[in-house]
Amino acid sequence: MKGLTLKKNLKSNYEYKKVASKVAVSLFRYAMLIAVGFTVLSPLFQIISNSLKNQSDFMNTSVSWIPTTFFYQNYIDAFHVMDYLKTFLNTVSIMVLSAFLEVAACGVAAYGFARFKFPERKILYALLLITILVPVRMTFLAQYVNFRNFDFFGITSIIGDLIGKDLTINLINTPFTFYLPSIFGVGYQSGLFIMIYIQFLKGIPKELEEAAWIDGAGPIGTFVRIIVPSSSVAILTVTILSIIWHWNEYYLTALYFNENQPLAVVLSGIMELIKLRGGDAINSHTGVAMASCMLFILPVLIMYLILQKKFIKSIDSVGIVG
Amino acid sequence: MRNKKVTGIERLKVRYGRMFVLPWTIGLLLFFLVPLFSSIAYAFCNVSLVNDKMLSFVGFEHFKYLINDDPNFMDNIKDAVTSFVYSLPIIVALSLIFAIILNQKFRGRIFARAVFFLPVIIATGVVMQFVTGAALQEGAALSTSMGETESYSGIRFDELLINLGLPQSITELLSDYIARVFNLVWSCGIQILLFVAGLQSIPDQLYEVSKIEGATTWEEFWFVTFPMLGNVTFLVLVYTIVDLFTAFDNPIMKQAYDLISKNSVYDQSAAILWAYFVVVGAVGALILLAYNRILMKKWN
Repeated sequence: MKGLTLKKNLKSNYEYKKVASKVAVSLFRYAMLIAVGFTVLSPLFQIISNSLKNQSDFMNTSVSWIPTTFFYQNYIDAFHVMDYLKTFLNTVSIMVLSAFLEVAACGVAAYGFARFKFPERKILYALLLITILVPVRMTFLAQYVNFRNFDFFGITSIIGDLIGKDLTINLINTPFTFYLPSIFGVGYQSGLFIMIYIQFLKGIPKELEEAAWIDGAGPIGTFVRIIVPSSSVAILTVTILSIIWHWNEYYLTALYFNENQPLAVVLSGIMELIKLRGGDAINSHTGVAMASCMLFILPVLIMYLILQKKFIKSIDSVGIVG
Repeated sequence: MRNKKVTGIERLKVRYGRMFVLPWTIGLLLFFLVPLFSSIAYAFCNVSLVNDKMLSFVGFEHFKYLINDDPNFMDNIKDAVTSFVYSLPIIVALSLIFAIILNQKFRGRIFARAVFFLPVIIATGVVMQFVTGAALQEGAALSTSMGETESYSGIRFDELLINLGLPQSITELLSDYIARVFNLVWSCGIQILLFVAGLQSIPDQLYEVSKIEGATTWEEFWFVTFPMLGNVTFLVLVYTIVDLFTAFDNPIMKQAYDLISKNSVYDQSAAILWAYFVVVGAVGALILLAYNRILMKKWN
């Protein structure tokens, strides 16, 4: 009788501990979630709240999060100051297009690396790693000079010398500064994308491809009909990352574009721009700057919210790191 | 007969492989190797762009100047390396913890993931300046002359803490610390993503076995999760090193960029960048080597 209660006690004690540790773990989890949620979301909310304040709200110390009036004039002003429609179209036609080109070109290169063995593979792979390790910001100056007197392997200048004209092309201020590297798969962050693809392709069984080979499909046919459809998950991940990184890029773009600037560059100099184009007519410079920031984030944010579920699922299954 | 056919296919495969990699190789030459080597050349030459890109070799002159005479360089590099050394472990540890949390099953997981990945969307560029208030501080310097008195500097942690009624000295210390952690959390996006992907690829059987063996959660982490993430952690380390290297608030990057944009001095700034690259590269390589030696060896 005594033994039985002891057993019971032990059991309940054990279960009690189990429940307690479960509660502790979930408490810790939610504490972390709330902490991170706060760090991530609060600046966003602050930007939103400030984008809706007018000058008197900024001066009023009792107004912190919720503005007294929703001063949407800021957004109208920001729209004009940024020349939003035109800048937006610039961004799409330069950066987003470049992102898509990059996604395709990286896939082609990655297929070559992942599935074929050829003598130069090792050294090229090492170079691929070097492209990841050396940030663009190390070489962007030389890149600038390279684009200003663009010379296709020295061939153009040789022909130019023969004709007696300077044939080197100035690509600065043209979208080709982004298109060309992207077409060849060495665009912005391309090394990382090729790695992601390679790791993904390693995880796909080869049987399907071999079947396609036997059926007489050529290498290009196999790539288009077998590889591309079965790596849709990896393609989605890479596309989203590429668009986002292109969208946010302002270091190189600021250097390459004096006119027809994309949104990120315009935003990075927004305070001066507000002064220049708006001046005293604008109620609150900070408010308009914040509204501009929102107008900048909004398109990618919408894209993210739409694709978010798929994106997060794809991260689960891409196994980026194999 | 059969052997011949195999070698035929092998040869074809070599050709196809080259075909797929060829465009990338051309791009690599044109848009990576050419700028890479010319920027290294800049560091060892005097560059004058006035008369059609004239390079004249000067050897280590620029580096000598940086080390001996430049007033800011050594301080900047010290700052950059210290912040690098303390940020790296914190970022890796934080993102591992976050990834493990996100990988568990709990209510609101989808929402939590969406929030955790938000920094990936917005933290890589110019928006970060708005988040920390840097963009507006520069703007504020301009606008004071215009008589504008709005002041804004991102999230005011110090105000928040003062409102909580803490003494001044503690508030300063805390707010400084919080501001740093805040920046670090914001730079965890991609790392969390990599770790989550890595966690997903650990087979469930391993956890079942460790449960049967009676391992605690802590042991499970140290003997199953962490070793299985070995390669991922290595990748995260590499990515973080590269990422920190070009961080937007890095004093060295600023110095180099100012030289170009304000004074269009190309050679000096190339020298700054390469000197910095060598230093950070050495520190990073040491860290990676230590990681490989100590941890990877233990697991193998």
